[in-house]
Amino acid sequence: MRSLISWAWLGLISSIATADSNLTHESRNILPSAFSPPKHFRNVNLVRNINLEKSYPRETINVVIENIDKAAQNEYYIPFEQGSLGQIGGLEVVDKKEAEKKGFKVDVVGIDPFSTTEYYKITLPTPIPPKDQLTLSITYFVLSALSPLPREILQTDKQYVLHKFSAYAPSAYTTVKQKTKLKLPTTDVPDAVTLPASLNAEKKEDPQKQGTSYTYGPYSDIEAGAVQEVSVRYEFTKPLTHSKLLERDIEVSHWGGNIATEERQWLTNRAATLKNHFNRVQYQQSSYYNPPTSALKEMRFPLVVGSVDAYFTDDIGNVSTSRFRTNKKEANLELKPRYPLFGGWNYSFKVGWNGDLQNFLRKVKGGNGETFVLKIPFFEGPKQAEGIEYERIVTRVILPEGATNVNFQTTLPLISNTTSLHRTFLDTLGRTALTLTAINIVDELRDRDLIVTYDYPSIAKFRKPLTITAGIFAVFVVAWVLGNLDVSIGRKQEKGKKA
Amino acid sequence: MSSQSLQALWEASAGQPFEPAVSKDQQFSVGFFLLLAAFLLSSLFGLNLSLKNIPLYAVPASFAFGFGAVYMICAVGVYV
Repeated sequence: MRSLISWAWLGLISSIATADSNLTHESRNILPSAFSPPKHFRNVNLVRNINLEKSYPRETINVVIENIDKAAQNEYYIPFEQGSLGQIGGLEVVDKKEAEKKGFKVDVVGIDPFSTTEYYKITLPTPIPPKDQLTLSITYFVLSALSPLPREILQTDKQYVLHKFSAYAPSAYTTVKQKTKLKLPTTDVPDAVTLPASLNAEKKEDPQKQGTSYTYGPYSDIEAGAVQEVSVRYEFTKPLTHSKLLERDIEVSHWGGNIATEERQWLTNRAATLKNHFNRVQYQQSSYYNPPTSALKEMRFPLVVGSVDAYFTDDIGNVSTSRFRTNKKEANLELKPRYPLFGGWNYSFKVGWNGDLQNFLRKVKGGNGETFVLKIPFFEGPKQAEGIEYERIVTRVILPEGATNVNFQTTLPLISNTTSLHRTFLDTLGRTALTLTAINIVDELRDRDLIVTYDYPSIAKFRKPLTITAGIFAVFVVAWVLGNLDVSIGRKQEKGKKA
Repeated sequence: MSSQSLQALWEASAGQPFEPAVSKDQQFSVGFFLLLAAFLLSSLFGLNLSLKNIPLYAVPASFAFGFGAVYMICAVGVYV
């Protein structure tokens, strides 16, 4: 029922919500309006790489920071304009020299609802002493960043997309030396904004081109918050697949030894829309030589090995254009949507599969056999060469009825978590459900795990069969009572006497 | 719990995977035989509705039906 309501709700808002920035204020620390990040640091050297090979840009900023304060400092800020902060996802910071170590703590801090700048606050695990340096590697994705230009194309046309960005990296501190490198998917780049040689530290006109990589900079002594808007327009004849919502349910069954997964997707293609009507004949002809297209025609779900019973349905019912290839080494679900998804078109569907619980659930050592630890992927979804971006992912882990003391851990940044009851077949109380929400996620993060621990006492385990047992036993007792009622009419017959 | 500890807990528990009491491919047979037993026992109880037959037939029939129903429901794909 709930999914039906949200399905209908999404249908209503889909026309206005398409590719809006994800400006939810669910997990934001609001600071006083007079706040500006203290200038404790200086960026000595900064190299920013923007990878445009997928349908969402991935930015990596490698920066050497130096503490210029008199005291040791451990809070580093990255500013974003309010509009763009809602599009930033998966921001992670590691120490470049110890990249294999865990990432640093990252928080979003807003100033007030009317301020145009908001910050990501990075808390370094150990404060940097004065005049010391540290190399940070900051990675993030920008969702809904590419816009097709022209906005309308013919069915077999090439698609060009525009990416606007600042030639200066976002920084709350003075940057001594910096450059921005672009990695484009092609050499077909009709437009790239040129910057005069006077800005460049080496007096070269920007961008400097080398194959598919374009470089802006180096620039020296750029003030905090400086912006130099530039843009590139390049060929990208691939779908810009955007998932407005992914709902994922994972149902754990101890009795059945099964883990059931279902994913409900609401997809849209942000690519250029069709100039004319869709031409089925032309589409069918082109399927023989399979040219690059901005339409989404196929999706592949690499599932966990051992997955079985896959299904693919949408509003109408079963979609027969799917293949499930499963063997000892892999389990791949390949699906074709009911229709190719051209720019501006939407498609919502459901996929699901089962797995053996033994591969995901373990008894905790020293937990007297009643504490369990579950390890599952946070989300799966299709894995596309051109990438998929998710505006919002809601993962719900439905634990057995009576599970208590639920703890979880994941490396994905979450915006909310709740524990509730989910009532379904054969439940008396309802099953414990853990609901986790994440926003602005891309398919590159699909291998992130979610670990959940819970207590499941045996008394809770036997609740289901014992409830049925009690019900049936009550029927027997009622049958016995009714069967022994004397409902005969007339005088009682005496034993041994004939009538 | 701290973030590191759950991963460590998962790795420490490597030797003890969850084992269901009845594996997936045996659920149907176990469920079927328990339901059959429940049917036979309740038939016997139905032949003679006496107080003596409640512990003798009705109680085992109830248990057989309770567990049999759970396994049969799992066997047909509704994993409760």
